[in-house]
Amino acid sequence: MSYIHFPVIAVMTLFMGAFLTVVFGRKSKAVRNILALAASCTAFVLICCLIKPVLIDGEIISYWMGNWSPVEGYAIGIGYEIDQLGMFFALITVFTVLMSCIYSIRYMERDSALDFYNVLFLMLSGSVLGLVLTGDVFNMFIMIEIMTFTSVGLAAFRNNKAGSVEAGFKYLVIGSIGSSMTLFGVAILYGNCHTLNMAQLSSILAGKLTPSTLMAFALMFTGLAVKSYIVPFHTPAADAYTTAPASISMVFSGMVNKAGVYGMIRLVYIIFRAMDKSSVQLLMVIFGVVTMFVGVTMALAQHDFKRLLAFHSISQIGYVITAAGLGSALGLTAGLFHAMNHTLFKGLLFLCAGAVYYAAGTTNLDKLGGLSKKMPKTCICFLIGAFSISGLPPFNGFASKWLVYQAVYEKAVTSGNIFYAFATVAAVVVSVMTLASFIKVTQAVFFGQLPASLENVQEVPALMRLPMWIMSALCVLTGVFYDQVNKWLLAPAAGAALNVSGYIDRMMGEGYAAEAGVVNIPVFAARFSFWNPVVWLLLFIIVLAAFCLAIIGSSGDRASISSAPADAEDGKYATFFSGEKSMPSHVSGSDLFWGFKKNWKGYFKVMDGIHSGRVNDYALYVVCAAALITVFVFGFVR
Amino acid sequence: MEYLKILFNILVFPGCLFVGAMGLLLSGIDRKVLARMQKRVGPPIIQPLYDFLKLLGKETIVPKAANRKVFLGAPVVGFAALVVTAALIPVLGYRAFEGSADLIVLLYLLTIPAVALIIGGSSSGNPYAGIGISREMVTMMSYELPLICIFLAVAKKVGGSTLCFSLSQIAAYQQANGSLIGCVSLLPAAAAMLLVIPAEVGTQPFDVAEAETEILEGPLIEYSGAPLAVFKLNTSMKMYIMTALFSALFLGGLATGVTALDVLIQVLLCIALTLICMTTIHAVTARLKIEHLFKFYWTVVAGLAALSLVLVWLGF
Amino acid sequence: MIIVNYIASVVLVVLGLYVIMTKKHLIKIVLGMSIVDYGINLFIVSTGFNEGGTAPIYKMSEFFRGSFFVDPVPQALTLTSIVIGACVDAMALSLVVKLYKQYHTTNSDEIRRLRG
Repeated sequence: MSYIHFPVIAVMTLFMGAFLTVVFGRKSKAVRNILALAASCTAFVLICCLIKPVLIDGEIISYWMGNWSPVEGYAIGIGYEIDQLGMFFALITVFTVLMSCIYSIRYMERDSALDFYNVLFLMLSGSVLGLVLTGDVFNMFIMIEIMTFTSVGLAAFRNNKAGSVEAGFKYLVIGSIGSSMTLFGVAILYGNCHTLNMAQLSSILAGKLTPSTLMAFALMFTGLAVKSYIVPFHTPAADAYTTAPASISMVFSGMVNKAGVYGMIRLVYIIFRAMDKSSVQLLMVIFGVVTMFVGVTMALAQHDFKRLLAFHSISQIGYVITAAGLGSALGLTAGLFHAMNHTLFKGLLFLCAGAVYYAAGTTNLDKLGGLSKKMPKTCICFLIGAFSISGLPPFNGFASKWLVYQAVYEKAVTSGNIFYAFATVAAVVVSVMTLASFIKVTQAVFFGQLPASLENVQEVPALMRLPMWIMSALCVLTGVFYDQVNKWLLAPAAGAALNVSGYIDRMMGEGYAAEAGVVNIPVFAARFSFWNPVVWLLLFIIVLAAFCLAIIGSSGDRASISSAPADAEDGKYATFFSGEKSMPSHVSGSDLFWGFKKNWKGYFKVMDGIHSGRVNDYALYVVCAAALITVFVFGFVR
Repeated sequence: MEYLKILFNILVFPGCLFVGAMGLLLSGIDRKVLARMQKRVGPPIIQPLYDFLKLLGKETIVPKAANRKVFLGAPVVGFAALVVTAALIPVLGYRAFEGSADLIVLLYLLTIPAVALIIGGSSSGNPYAGIGISREMVTMMSYELPLICIFLAVAKKVGGSTLCFSLSQIAAYQQANGSLIGCVSLLPAAAAMLLVIPAEVGTQPFDVAEAETEILEGPLIEYSGAPLAVFKLNTSMKMYIMTALFSALFLGGLATGVTALDVLIQVLLCIALTLICMTTIHAVTARLKIEHLFKFYWTVVAGLAALSLVLVWLGF
Repeated sequence: MIIVNYIASVVLVVLGLYVIMTKKHLIKIVLGMSIVDYGINLFIVSTGFNEGGTAPIYKMSEFFRGSFFVDPVPQALTLTSIVIGACVDAMALSLVVKLYKQYHTTNSDEIRRLRG
């Protein structure tokens, strides 16, 4: 069978897996797990088979459903077009699905109604995979809707836990407003162009920015921004990532908001080809910077482990939007690299949070502590994830954040606009605050003193640790071998996004793009100017040598003695402790950084008021932001 | 031959031995001059070396509540990062690694020793250490903002319409056009850097993270013996690295061509800078509280650095 | 091009958004979501209208170049959208039922356990 059928088969396998789970999987746990694993593995293998033709050989696969090819230059069927950009996001998607599937085999065993869980999970995976592979804008809307429904179901899955159903409801209301706006935009586009195929739309809309197409742009931009959870549309995401099971939170933060980002890139780069207008760049960068900053400052004030990780997710998507919104090849490469790295390290962090919940029963930062002695392997994985997200070398977060800073500052210099210089400063400061926040979580959860209630905590099962190890290894590898990642994954993807005429030609027939007068944005290869492997080789040598010295020095005669707590003996030391028993005095998560919080009391009070929890307020923010975007688009985009 | 030269650069000059010796020397001079300012006699100048050797001979106690691997590994990681940083900073004319030294990489490398201190303190399981690491993290958040503005201003000034983050190119520019401290638009940045140096090193009035009288040395409370020696050495090495960075960024025009003379001038410059920005301020001020420190850095110092950035952008 | 339809659809969408933003009762919010959907459905089906066109149902023998009919694609899109709207309503209402059982209120001011 030719490989051009593989994308559709992959999507259909996931949907069929959901259907078969309903039919066969209601009673038996083994059947359910096997079906889910089989579907995920099949999809993963099929997409990986496409790596050679699409990414390595540079071919774009164009597939018309039911063989309805274009008639006289008009697209009449639904087309699936897989170019390198779609392939990049498809790889991220199937990898995340596979990891989550392996993790949830053991993680979810204490919950009930697992057949519903598997159905929803497989449908969510199928819909996101369909979203990134499709070439038809209404099909994309349908996939967005399936994604929204299944996400709501999964967010409200643990409906015995406080807040789950509430989170699901708010997610549904806000998500539904976003989808409606997208549909409205699609309808306006159809009314103007009488086609739903993205390639044909792109050739028609070239330079034809009438008021109605501008309205469509504003509406679709808002709708896809709601799906990416950037500020001020981020409010349901914070709730949903908290209450969903950890394997699903990982899928949400790794796949679902990347789908929104993919949608925005397709919209601005391919359909409207508006990325060379400085007003559109400014719009995206402003959203990105505000998102980065609000996300990280809100995260510093949280008391719940997963809600904190959710706000960090929002902040990192701000980095991606900022970089992708710069309109340069380097910016897009930086944005895509950071999106991939975000899936890896944020997925790892959510899996660690799930492991902590499975072992200790709570995710409240004020009640946890000292878990590194009981769960050492989880602690190592968590530290790798925390150092990646903070951007410390040699992990992958450092490489992608460095590219983002370089891209933004170069944009500042080439455009002469000092706003981008301050955006660079903001990006670095947000990175330091991210580091601060993860130091707080490390201290609150893994180091510090072990409370008495957590004495019986054990390490999580091996099947849950396997995805964590795989993702940690990938975090380190993509950080060290960043140039290989660039060559095989990023440069083709960024090139595909900027090479619109190739996209159009493949779908509609050769020469179509030239007739419509499509001109490409010139692509410059991204330059990585920072790395000299010698530097890191010598760092490694020194660390290794010093480690050996430390180990040799601490064994033997000058062996380290473990000091026991003072009240193990009585009498002798009582004079130093006034005869009192020592109380556990763990410095919990909320007590750290009060110096920072005190200075910013006014800001935090305002932010607390804004995140009021009322669904009406959240809807108000969405509508106001939509209105502002519409006014901006009409006023400045020419 | 290449590897021998690299090994020499890492281990002897300007790497491990050189920066270690320079750090201890600066630390000793700082203590001696401080004592004289306070009308005391003070310890001899090589006292820090005696302290280091004495600590190496003491026994290492690992508390039961601590995570042993992280506890013992943290000082080593900080030391390694500092040695690499020192190898990357050009010593006036002498540049060990051409072209690979980028300012942003330095920024990240400089955060590693602070993070190593934080993780080491956190892993010891002591509540005083918990408070100490919180203060250290807020201090780091405070001085990173002005530091990035300073680096961006220098990069724009040297690069012009392209950007120049490479330290060796900054050194070359200064040898051609004179020291950057002579430019009016970069004077606020230089002043801001002089104020960032004591916070990075952790001397008074910005040593709130290791406040001896309040939280009993903060993150270092459970450390003893060889790991403590390495942490103290890290602090001394940071003194040298920050002052050397200042002289590389702003005083590069004083280089002559001869390496030995350059090293001597660098040593004298570092001693002078230590006396100006660390010893004098230490002698005349008291310790700031953490919220005052944060406010000071994000208003006054960041204001100076941002002023410099704006001036450079406008073309002065 | 029926102006009345377009104005009516925009009015419906704006009304629906107004209801979501201001009404406190959860079922009213769900009704608001539905009104937004209906407005958009009206808009979609109106874009396909051609003045004087016949219904787009032809046998292959009757079909020739120059047949003038109303555009069938928006009708297909509208059908899909109506089904989606129905599913959204069903899901939202079931969530409201579950919320009422847990919180014993349908006032959105009181359903705020997750905030900050």
